[in-house]
Amino acid sequence: MKFFIIFCNVLLITILSSKSFASGEVNVYSYRQPILIDPFFEEFTKSTGIKVNVLHAKKGLLERLLSEGANTPADLILTVDISRLKQFVEKDVLIPIDSSILKKNIPSHLRDSKNRWFALSKRARIVVVSKDRVPIGAITKIEDLAEPKWKGKICTRSGSHAYNRSLLASIIATHGEEGAEEWAKGLVKNLARKPEGNDRAQAKAIYEGVCDVALMNTYYFGKMKFNEKNPEQKDWAKAINLIFTNQTDRGNHINVTGGGIVKYSKNKENAIDLLEFLTNPKAQMLYSSMNYEYPVNLKVPLSDELKLWGEFKEDELPIEKLAELAPIAQKIINRVGW
Amino acid sequence: MSNWNVWSVSVVIIALLIIAPVLAIFYSAFLGDTSLWPHLFSTVLPRYIFNTLILMFGVGSLSLIFGVSTAWVITRYNFFGKNVLEWALLLPAAVPTYIIAYTYTDIFEYAGPFQGMLRDFFGWENAQNYWFPNIRSMGGAILVMSAVLYPYIYLMTRASLLTTPISFYQTSSIYGRNTFMHVALPLARPGIVAGLALVLMETISDFGTVDYFALETLTLGVFNVWLGMNSLSGASQISSVLFIFVVILLTLEYLARRKQRFHEKSSGQNTMPEEEVSPAGKLICILICLVPLILGFIIPVSILLNFVLKGFAIIDFAEIISTTFSSVFLSLSASIFIMLVSVLMIVVANYKSSSAQRIIIYLSSCGYAFPGTILAVGIVVFVGWLNDLFYFHLSYWAGGFIILIFAYMIRFLAVSSGAIRTGMLRVHPNLMDVSKTMGVGFVTTLRKIIIPLIYMNILIGGILVFVDILKELPITLLLRPFNFETLATYVYQYASDEMLEESSFAAIIIIIAGLGPVIFLNSTIKRISKKKESAAPNY
Repeated sequence: MKFFIIFCNVLLITILSSKSFASGEVNVYSYRQPILIDPFFEEFTKSTGIKVNVLHAKKGLLERLLSEGANTPADLILTVDISRLKQFVEKDVLIPIDSSILKKNIPSHLRDSKNRWFALSKRARIVVVSKDRVPIGAITKIEDLAEPKWKGKICTRSGSHAYNRSLLASIIATHGEEGAEEWAKGLVKNLARKPEGNDRAQAKAIYEGVCDVALMNTYYFGKMKFNEKNPEQKDWAKAINLIFTNQTDRGNHINVTGGGIVKYSKNKENAIDLLEFLTNPKAQMLYSSMNYEYPVNLKVPLSDELKLWGEFKEDELPIEKLAELAPIAQKIINRVGW
Repeated sequence: MSNWNVWSVSVVIIALLIIAPVLAIFYSAFLGDTSLWPHLFSTVLPRYIFNTLILMFGVGSLSLIFGVSTAWVITRYNFFGKNVLEWALLLPAAVPTYIIAYTYTDIFEYAGPFQGMLRDFFGWENAQNYWFPNIRSMGGAILVMSAVLYPYIYLMTRASLLTTPISFYQTSSIYGRNTFMHVALPLARPGIVAGLALVLMETISDFGTVDYFALETLTLGVFNVWLGMNSLSGASQISSVLFIFVVILLTLEYLARRKQRFHEKSSGQNTMPEEEVSPAGKLICILICLVPLILGFIIPVSILLNFVLKGFAIIDFAEIISTTFSSVFLSLSASIFIMLVSVLMIVVANYKSSSAQRIIIYLSSCGYAFPGTILAVGIVVFVGWLNDLFYFHLSYWAGGFIILIFAYMIRFLAVSSGAIRTGMLRVHPNLMDVSKTMGVGFVTTLRKIIIPLIYMNILIGGILVFVDILKELPITLLLRPFNFETLATYVYQYASDEMLEESSFAAIIIIIAGLGPVIFLNSTIKRISKKKESAAPNY
C-alpha cells in the first residue's frame, strides 16, 4: 500500500511538473554529448526564447523514433557520422526541408540532394606522428600506413569504430574492396598493440613511446592542447605532429556531424529555426572555436587554432558514398581483425 | 487445486508481459535475413564465443572464490574487524563495472602511478625494459568484474549459512567430518548457485568493461553487426545466441535446486555460534576478507577521490543534488515495485501453478542476460506495438517513467526472483496446507506466514535491485524522458569519451547512494539472525 501512495505521488509530480510541449519549445534527439552541444542550445534560447529539450543517447535513438511513429515527441535529430544520418533517411523518418538559409549556408556536397539531411560541421581524420621519432615527410598518404617499414609502430582505436569504418570506406572508394582489404591487412600487421582506447588514448601512447604513428580526428588535438582540467594531456599534444594525408591526390578523408527534421515533428517551425541557427556564422564560429571542428559554412573564417593547423585539401568524395560503403568496410574489418 | 485460478492466470499474464520485449528481439531476429552468418562464422563469431566462455569461466570462478570464502569466515569465525567487514564486503556491489574498469586502467597502465613507481624503483627507462601485464586484457577484465560482482554470491551464501540449523553442524562434528565441506557447502549450494547465476548473467550482458578493455565478446559483436553493418536483425540474432547461453545456465540452476530441495522443519532453531580461532587463523580470516574489499572498493574509490581532490571533477552541487534525488527516487520506487511483483510471482508459482506455468514464470527472468541496449530496443519496439493498440494519454514524462520502471522490471527480475526463490526453498510446503485446514485464505497465509519467513530474502533482493538500478545505464539512457538525468547517465556523458575524471564526483555519489541500503541490509540480517537465536520459537 505504501508503495502505491509513493507511486501515485511520482505520477502526480511528474504530470504536474511536465509542461505540455507547447509552441515555445523544440525537442531534440541527440547522438552528440550534452557537453558539446548544450552551449549551442543556450545561445539559441537566448536569441529566440525557444526552449530546447534534449534526449542524448549513443545507440538506439533511431529505433525509438521508429517505434514511436506518429506519436513521437521528437522534432530534430542530431548525429555524428554520415552513416548514421543516412540510416535515418533510409528508414524514412526525416522530412525534406526547403530552406533558402540552409542552402545558402551549406555547400551542396554536404547536404542531401533531397534536403532531408544537412551537415553542420566537419572533422578530418588525420595521421599523427611522434615529433621526436618520425621525420617530417616520412608519411604523406594514408596508404603509407600499410608499408612494412612501420611494423610495430602504429596505434589505433578499434577498426569497428565509426571513424575508422568511415576512413576505410573512403579507401574502398579509391582502391576498391580488394585494395582496401590489402591496406587494412598491412595496417593490422603494423600495429604496436591490440586496438584499444579512443583517439586521445593513441596520442597518449605516442607520448609514452608505445608507438610512433596513430590515427586521430582533428578536434581531439585541440581538446588535448587546451585541456586545463587535465594538464598532462597538453604534453600528449606536444608530443605529436599533425599530418593531413593525400594532399597531392584525392585529399584528406573527412566525416561530418549533421541533423534533420523528424517527419512527425509537432514543432516544425522551431526545429527549422534551430537547424538554421546551427549553420549561421555565430554558431559555426562556435563549432570551430569551442569544439575544434571545421565549419561547413564557407563564409565563416576558421578559428585561430584551426588556422594554425593549416589549410588542407579535403577528399571530395560525395559524403553519402561513405555511408553506402560502410557495411562492406565492416566486413573487411572483421576479416582482417582490426 | 485448479491451475487456472485467478492468481496463476494473472501471474502468467504478467510474466508474458515481461517476456514480450524479449520475444520482440527474437521476432526481429527471425524476420531478418541470415546472409551475414556465413561471413560472421568464418570471421569473428568463433572468437567472440570463445572469449565469452573464457570470460564467464574466469569471472565465475574468481567470484565464487571471493564470495564463498568471505561468507564462510564471516559467518563462522570471530576475528578483529569482523563487525565492519561483514557489511563492508558488500560495498563493491555499488561500484559500476564501467567505473572500475576505467580506474584500474588509470592506475595500472604504462603511464599510471603503479608502473611509474616500479620504473623509479628499478631504474627502468621505457616499456621495452620490462614486462608488465596489460590491464586491458582478458585477465584484467576477469579481475575487475569479479571484484565488483562477488557480493551477489557473498550475500546469498551468507543468508544460506546463517539459516542452516546448528544441529547439522553438531552432527558433523560428532562424526569428525569437515563442517565446511560436508555441511555448509552442500546446504548453502542453492544460495551459491543463485548468486553465481546472477554473476554469470551480468558477465554475459556487460558492455562497459569489455568495450573499454577491447575484449571481443559476443556483446561487442552485437554492436559490431548492429551499428557497423547496419543490421539490427543480425544483432538480434547474436543476442539470441547469448540467450541460449542463459537458458542453459537457468536450466542448470533449476536442476541443481530441484535436486537440492530441502526444508527446514524447525525454522526457529539456533544458528551456530561463532568459533574462536588462533591469532594466525584470525589473520588469515582478515586477509580473506580484505583482498576482495581492496580490489573492488578501496582501489577504485581512492582513485575517484584522488580525481576529485586534484580538482579534475566538475562539481555542480545544484545539478548533482537534483540528479541524486531523481536517481534515488526512481531506483527506490522501481525496486519496491519489482519486489512486489517478484514475491507474488514466485509464491504463486510455488503453490498455485502447473509446471507449464512455472516455466513461463521462470523464463521471465531471462531479461537480465541481454545486453542492456538490445533489451532497451526490444522494449522500445514492444512499447511501440502497445502504443499502436492503445495510445496512452499521459504526458511523455509520466509515460516515460512507467516505461522505465517496466523496463527495469524486465531487466532485474532475475535478481529479485533469485533471492526470493532461495528463501522459498526453506519454507515447508506444509505450511500452506496447514493454513488451509484452518480455513485461512491464500492472501492471509502469504501475509502472516510466507512473507515473514522470507523477509530477509526480500530485503536482499530489493537492495540488490536498488543498487543495480542506480548503476543501470543503457536502458535509462534510451528510454528516459527529455532533459532527465540519473547519476549513471550523468557520469556516462563524460565516461563515454574516456573523461571519467570530470565525472568522478558523480561516480562517488552513485557509490555513496548505494552504501546506505547496504548498511541497512546488513543490520537487518543481523537483527533477524539474533532474533532467531534468542527467541527461538518452536512451531
